Amino acid sequence: MIAGAWICLLSPLAGAVAITLAGTRISRRTAGWIATLATFVAFAGALVAFFGLRGLNPDDREQMSTAYTWLAVGNFKVDMQILLDTLSSTMMLIVSGVGGLIVWYSMGYMAGDDEERRYFAYMSLFVFSMLLLVQAGNFLLMLVGWGLVGLASYLLIGFWHQRAEAVAAAKKAFVMNAFGDATFALGLVLLVWKTGTLTFSGVFDQVGSLDSTIVNLVALGLLGGAVAKSAQIPLHTWLPDAMEGPTPVSALIHAATMVTAGVYLLVRASPIFEAAPDVQHLAAILGAVTLLVAGLVALVQWDIKRVIAYSTMSQIGYMFLAAGLGAYGYAIFHLMTHAFFKALLFMSAGLVIHHLGGEQDIRRMGGLHRAMPKTHVAFLVGTLALTGIPIFAGFWSKDGIISSALATGGSLGWTLYVAALVGAFLTGAYSFRLYFTVFRGPESDFVAAHAHEGHGEGPRSMLIPVGVLTVLATIGGLVVIPGVWEPFLTWIDETAEPLVSPTVAQDYGTSAIAVTLAVIGYYLAHRAFLAGRQLVARPEIWRVLERKFYFDELYDALFYRPAAALSVNLRTNVEEPVIERSLDEIGSGTITVGDEVARAQTGLLRTYAVALAFAVFILVVVFVAVR
Amino acid sequence: MAGPDVGWYLIVSAILFGIGALGVMLRRSPLVVLLSLEIMLNAANLILIAFSRQQGNLDGQIFALAVMAVAAAEVAIGLGLIVAMARRRLALDVDQADALRG
Amino acid sequence: MGNVLVWVIWFVAAGACLGTGVAVVSLTNPFYSALALIGNLASLAVLFLLLSAEFLAAAQVLVYAGAVMVMFLFVVAYLGGRADAPWAGGPPLLRAAAIVAAAALLVEVVVVLGLAWGDELTSPADVSTSFGSPAEIGEIFLTDHLLAFEITSIVLLVAAVGGVVLGTTREKEEGA
Repeated sequence: MIAGAWICLLSPLAGAVAITLAGTRISRRTAGWIATLATFVAFAGALVAFFGLRGLNPDDREQMSTAYTWLAVGNFKVDMQILLDTLSSTMMLIVSGVGGLIVWYSMGYMAGDDEERRYFAYMSLFVFSMLLLVQAGNFLLMLVGWGLVGLASYLLIGFWHQRAEAVAAAKKAFVMNAFGDATFALGLVLLVWKTGTLTFSGVFDQVGSLDSTIVNLVALGLLGGAVAKSAQIPLHTWLPDAMEGPTPVSALIHAATMVTAGVYLLVRASPIFEAAPDVQHLAAILGAVTLLVAGLVALVQWDIKRVIAYSTMSQIGYMFLAAGLGAYGYAIFHLMTHAFFKALLFMSAGLVIHHLGGEQDIRRMGGLHRAMPKTHVAFLVGTLALTGIPIFAGFWSKDGIISSALATGGSLGWTLYVAALVGAFLTGAYSFRLYFTVFRGPESDFVAAHAHEGHGEGPRSMLIPVGVLTVLATIGGLVVIPGVWEPFLTWIDETAEPLVSPTVAQDYGTSAIAVTLAVIGYYLAHRAFLAGRQLVARPEIWRVLERKFYFDELYDALFYRPAAALSVNLRTNVEEPVIERSLDEIGSGTITVGDEVARAQTGLLRTYAVALAFAVFILVVVFVAVR
Repeated sequence: MAGPDVGWYLIVSAILFGIGALGVMLRRSPLVVLLSLEIMLNAANLILIAFSRQQGNLDGQIFALAVMAVAAAEVAIGLGLIVAMARRRLALDVDQADALRG
Repeated sequence: MGNVLVWVIWFVAAGACLGTGVAVVSLTNPFYSALALIGNLASLAVLFLLLSAEFLAAAQVLVYAGAVMVMFLFVVAYLGGRADAPWAGGPPLLRAAAIVAAAALLVEVVVVLGLAWGDELTSPADVSTSFGSPAEIGEIFLTDHLLAFEITSIVLLVAAVGGVVLGTTREKEEGA
C-alpha cells in the first residue's frame, strides 16, 4: 500500500528522467508512450494505495512513510516523507488518472511537433511535481512540489517559445506565482519560528496554542500562495494568458490539477484556517468575487480557450467558497468533478482546434455538430456537467457547495449564497453561448473550408480519453447523493471534518433554484443566439468586461511601469556614469597618479641630494629620540 | 690646558656640516660638489676627535683616521669619474646628467 | 694666561674654518674653491692640535692638504674649471629646499646631541700627555683596531685599482 504510494510518486519522475536522458535516441512517439505509461503506472500505484487504505480501520487511515531525513538543524527536522490518508489518496487518483488520460491525448494532439520529446518530459515532470505536492507529509516538501509545478507550468506555457506571446505569458504566470510562493514561504517561516516544526501533525497540534496574530499571518501567507496558484482575484490575470500553451497543457495544468492546488492547500491546512476564521472567510469571499467576475468576463470572450479558462477561474471560486466556509468534502468533490468536465471541455475544444487547423476564434466557427458529431456529444456533456444539470457530475458537487453557504447562515452565508446562485446563472449563460456559437447553427464558411480535409475527428489517442472523460462527467457525481449515500464525503471527512453540513432539504431546495437559474441562462443564451446578437448588449458594459475589468491595465500601471522606470533610471543614472565610468576612471586615474609620481624622478643629482638630506634628518630624529 | 668644551666644537662642526651640505645640494660643477663633500667629511672628523678628547678614549681618533683614508680613496675615484666625463666631451654640469629622469 | 691664548687661537681657527668653508661653497671659480679648501684643512689641523690629536693633525696636513688637494688642483688645472653661474638652474624651490634641509640638519645635530648627552659635555677627561701621540695611535691600530687598519688598506688598494681602470680606458673610447 505504501509501496503503491511511492510508485505513484516516483514513476512520472522516472519517466521524465528517462525521456531526458534518452534524448534523440528514442523516437517522438516512444517519448509519448513513456510519459503515458509512466502516468498510468502512477495511477495503478494510486489505486493500490487507495484500496489498501480502504482496507484499514478508519482510525488507521493516516499513514506516514519516511524515506530519509532531508535536513536537520538543531531541533528542527524535515524528512522526505509522504503522507497517505483519505485526502491525499483521492488527490493522487485524480491527478494520475486524469493526468494519464490527458498525456495519452497529447500523443495525438502534439504528433508532428518537432519538440515532442521535450513536451513529454515536461508533462511527466509536472505530474511528478503535482503528486509530490499532494503526497507531501510536511509543509516544506509541499512547498517544493508547489514550486516545481510552477516551474513545469512556466515551461509548458512557453513551450512554443518562438511565439513572443507565449513567452510573455509564461513569464507572467511565473512571476505572479512567485509572489504567492513568497507569501507561502513567509507563512512557513513564521510556523518554523513559533512551532519549531513543519510536519502537518506537529503544526496542527500546536496551532491552538499560538498567538492569534501569528496564526492569522500564517493563514494569510498560505492564502496568498493559494490565491496565486489557483488564479483567484487579485492574482488571476495570468490564467487567461496561460492559454498560449498547448491545449492538453491547459487541460491538465490549468483546469484539472495545478490550479486546484490552492484548494488542496486550504483543505489540508484547515486546522490553521479554522484557528484564523477571518482569513478563512476571506478565502470564501475571494472565491465568491472571483466566480462572479470570471463569469461576467466569460460572457464576452471570443477565444474558445479563454472562455473555458474563465470558466475554470469561476469554478475554482466555488471551491474556494466551499473551503472558506468549511465544507471541505464538497470542495474536494467539486475539485474531482471539475477535473472531469473541465478536462473534457478543454480536450473537446482541442479536437475542434485540431480539426480546424489551429483556429481558436469562435466567430469563425459554427455548425460543427454535423462535421464533428462525437466531439459535439462530448462538449455537450461537458457543458451540461458544468452548468449543473442533473444528473451530470457538476450538479451534485456545485449544489452541495451552494447549499453549504445556505447552511452557514448569517450575513456572510446569505451573501455568499446569493452570489453563488448568480454565478450559477452566469455559468449557464456563458457555457451555452459558447456551445451554440461553436456547434449549432449553420456551418460557417471557415468550417466549410476545413471540414473537407477528411481526416476524421481525430486520432484514437485523442478520442478514447475524451470518451472516458465523457462517461466520468456523466456518472462521476453519483458518489454523493444527499440523503441516499455519501461515501465520498464520508471518506474526505475523515481527514478534514467539515464545519458545516447542509441538510437534505437545504440541498435539494438549493438545487431546484440553481438548476432553474441555469436553465434561464440557457434560455437567454439560446434566444440571443437565434437572434444573432450577443447577451451583453450595452457597449459600455461590453468594453469593461472585454478588458477584464481593467485588472491588467491596473497591474501594468501599479507594478510594471514603476519597475521598468526604475530599472531604466538606474541604468542611465547609476550603471553608466558610476559603474562603467568608474572602471575607466580607475584606469585613467592610475595613469594620472603614475604621471604625478613620476615627476619626483627628476634625474637631477641635486634633488636626490636634498631628498637624502631630509631623510637623514628624519632618521636621526627617529634613532636618537627613540633611544 | 682648558679650552672650549666639546659643545663649542659641536657647534662649529655642525655649521661646517651644514655649509658642506649646502654646497653639495646647490652647486652645479661636479668639482665643487666633491669639494663640499670633503668639507662634510672633515666636519665629521672634527666632532669625532672632539668627543674622543672629551671621553679620553682614542677610538674616536682611530675612526677619524679611517675616515680620512676613505675620503682620500673616494676623492681619487670621484676625480677619475670627472676626468672620464670630460674625456667623453660631456659638460661638467651635474644638472645635465639626468639619464635617470622618468 | 695660557687659557686666554687657547681661546684666542680657537676663535681664530674656528673663524678661518668657517670662513674658508663658505668660500669653498660660494666661489665661482673651482680653482679658488680648491685653494679655499686647503685653508679649511689647515685651520682644522690647528683645531685638532688643540684637541690633543697631534698625529691626526699631521696626517691631515700631509695626506689631505698635501696629497688629496694636490690631486684636486691637478684635475682642475687639467679640465680648465669652467666658471659657470654657480647657483642658477635646477628645479624650482630647490634652493629653498636645500637651505631648509641644511638648516634642519644643523639644528638637529646641535639639539639632538646636546639633549642626548648634555650633562656629559662639560668636563673633559684627564689625559696623559701622550694622548693622541703617534705611538699610542699606532699601538691601538695594531691591537684593538687591527681590522679597521686592514680594511682601510684594502679600501686604498681598491681606490688605486679603480683609478687606474678609470684612467686607462682611453684607447677604446677614442676608437669608438
